[in-house]
Amino acid sequence: MKSFVRVQMQDYVVTVFLLLCLTSVPNSAAAQSWRSLTPTQREALAPMLQQWDTLPEPQRHRLLDTAKHYSQLTPEQKQRYHGRLEKWSKLTPEQREAARKKYRAFNKLPAEKREQVKQMVKEEQARKAQQSASGVSAAPVTNQQ
Amino acid sequence: MTNNLDPRKIAKLLTQSTRQLDAATLSALFNARQNALKRQSVRSPVFALTPTSAHTSARWTDRLVPHSAQPWIAVALLAAILVAGTSFWQHAQEQQISELDVAILTDDLPIEVFVD
Repeated sequence: MKSFVRVQMQDYVVTVFLLLCLTSVPNSAAAQSWRSLTPTQREALAPMLQQWDTLPEPQRHRLLDTAKHYSQLTPEQKQRYHGRLEKWSKLTPEQREAARKKYRAFNKLPAEKREQVKQMVKEEQARKAQQSASGVSAAPVTNQQ
Repeated sequence: MTNNLDPRKIAKLLTQSTRQLDAATLSALFNARQNALKRQSVRSPVFALTPTSAHTSARWTDRLVPHSAQPWIAVALLAAILVAGTSFWQHAQEQQISELDVAILTDDLPIEVFVD
């Protein structure tokens, strides 16, 4: 009687274990080729046209998730999104994850600090733009005798 | 003839008469008593308002689902709840990540600020 009960319990435990293993199977849709994308998705992911079909499936899935928000962006945000998409997808998964962590940490800063950082970055960008416009090199000029 | 019968006398008379019964009859009475006791253990409470019968004496769950299948159904329900919960959590995580990615891709600051 005891061995019978033990066998029944084992059956239940194995069944629950197998069913739990099913939850570890990635719950994602099959990889979508560029042709199968909707016009809205293609518009959002236009910069990725050339390399879309070579991207790994999880990365395509993530980009499709971001493309869902495209229609809600302002024109300026859409421009930035397109401008950065290619660079973003060339990063490694670890780099993207590190960037997300930094972004989360940045947003936890007080508003004043965030504004300071933004101001510094804007000044740096303006300086670089001025340098490239005037053709001045970044290296210091040495006096030649 | 008297109409007032003492319960103790009746019990005594009944006890005396059982001693006069043959073995086969005693055995049959004993089995009938055992079966009645078994049925009584699953019977609904005596003070129930609904009339009890042989059909309602069984548990209502046993009537809906065979007793042998009940543990498996419980396991399947538990697993379904776990799977649904995990899927929901995964979906919520994915949504959070996509919102974060969109924020980085559209922020005032260039992505170089966040990328080493």
